[in-house]
Amino acid sequence: MKHLIRLTVNDRDYEVAVEPNTSLVDLLRTQLGLTGAKKGCDLGDCGACTVLLDGRAVNSCLVLAVQAAGRTVQTIEGLETAHGLHPLQQAFIEKGAIQCGFCSSGMILSAKELLEKTPHPGEPEIRRAISGNLCRCTGYQKIIEAIKDAAR
Amino acid sequence: MILPKFEFHEPATIGEACELMAHYRGKARPLAGGTDLLVNMKKKILSPERLVSLGRIPELSRLERSNGTLWIGAGVTVSAIAASETVDRDVPALGQGARALGTPLIRNLATIGGNIGSARPAADLPPALIAYDAVLVLQSAAGERRLPIADFFKGPGQTAAREAELIAAVAIRVPVGHAGAGYLNLGVRKAQDCNIVNAASFLELDERAEIIRAVRVALGSVGPTPLRSPSAEAVLIGQKPTEALFDLAADAARRDCSPILDFRGSAEYRRDMVGVLTRRTLSMALAEARSRN
Repeated sequence: MKHLIRLTVNDRDYEVAVEPNTSLVDLLRTQLGLTGAKKGCDLGDCGACTVLLDGRAVNSCLVLAVQAAGRTVQTIEGLETAHGLHPLQQAFIEKGAIQCGFCSSGMILSAKELLEKTPHPGEPEIRRAISGNLCRCTGYQKIIEAIKDAAR
Repeated sequence: MILPKFEFHEPATIGEACELMAHYRGKARPLAGGTDLLVNMKKKILSPERLVSLGRIPELSRLERSNGTLWIGAGVTVSAIAASETVDRDVPALGQGARALGTPLIRNLATIGGNIGSARPAADLPPALIAYDAVLVLQSAAGERRLPIADFFKGPGQTAAREAELIAAVAIRVPVGHAGAGYLNLGVRKAQDCNIVNAASFLELDERAEIIRAVRVALGSVGPTPLRSPSAEAVLIGQKPTEALFDLAADAARRDCSPILDFRGSAEYRRDMVGVLTRRTLSMALAEARSRN
C-alpha cells in the first residue's frame, strides 16, 4: 500500500505517494528528479548517497522514503543560493577536489555537517568526518585541503 | 538493489509497537536505525512481511541519569551516545565504543537498541555494556522484564528476546568509587569495518585503591556472541593491579575465546590480539579507576 507523505527537500515542500520499500535515495532521484545524491553501493558502505536529514548526514539508501515524512532533507542541489555556490562547493572546485565527481556531493554534505558543529576543525576531525565517504579517484588529500580552506 | 515488498507501521508509543508486534507475531520485524536490517533485506537474506518502525517513539530516544542509573532509550542514536557528555563522564568506555562504530553516516542512523538486538558478534557497543553490567529493559504486550545484557546474546543474530518482545532501554548503574573501564577495537581500517577483535574491561578497586574488588572482561568478534572471560576475571579478582598481573590476565583471556579465521585475520592472530586488547583495556580501566574517587 502506498503512503502519502509530506517532506521538505531543499526548502521546498513536496507531497508524494511512496511504496514502503522505496528508499529515500530512490525517491529523490527517480520521483523528485534530484540526481545529486548518487547511488553507489546502495548498502551504506560508500557514502555517495549522503544527504542531510534534519541536519544530520546519513546514507539515504538506508532510509525509507516513508521515514522521511515530516522531515527536512537537504541535497547538494540545495546548497547554492542567489549569492552563488556554497563556500564548500567553491573550495572543492578551487582546490581540485572534484575529479570524477561521484563522491563529491556526499563529501560536501558530510563536511557541511562537520563545519556546522565544528567551524574550525583540525585535520583528524576532517578525516573522521568524511570517513564514511569513499573516493575511488583517491583524491582525499585535495578534498581535505578544500574542507580546510572552506573552514577558514 | 530492490528492497523486498513489505507493509510499514509507524507506532507513536512503545505500547502500540508491542501490540503490533504481538498482533503480527513472527511476520513483523522491528525497524530501528535500519543500517543492519535494510542491508539484509536488500541482500534478500531477510524479507519480513511487515516492518514496525520505532523511529517516531519519543520515549525511546531519552538519555538521562536518575538515582545513580543511566537510562538510554533503545532509539538513542550511536552519534548521540558518542557526543554525550553524560556518557563520557559516567561510562566513558561506552562512548569509546560508540565512536568506533561504522562511520559518521551510519552513527547518525544506527541505534543502541539495534546494535544490541542485531546480535552481531563483532558489534562495537556490547563489550562495554557487558563490562558495565548493563541491564536490558525488554517490553512486550505481556509486560516488562529485565535481563542482564550478558544473558541476552545466544548466537550470531540470536537473542534471548521472546517473540514480539522489544528492547525498550538499557540501564547502566553508574560506577562509584575507584572504578573505571576501557574499550578498544582492532580492524583492518579505522572506519567502515568489521572488527577483528574488540574488548572492554571494567575494574573496581577497594577504598584505598589497592586491591581489585570487582572486575569484568568482555570480548567481541572471537566467538558466536560477545562473551565474558571468566579465566581473566579469576586471575584479577582480589589482587593488586600490576603490569605482571595484567599479563597473566591477558594470557587467560586468550584461552577463553574461540576465534574463527577469515580474510581479516587468522584465528592465531585474533587470539594474540585478545591478549593485547585485554591488557590495554585493563590499563585504561586502572588509570580511570585511580583517577576517580
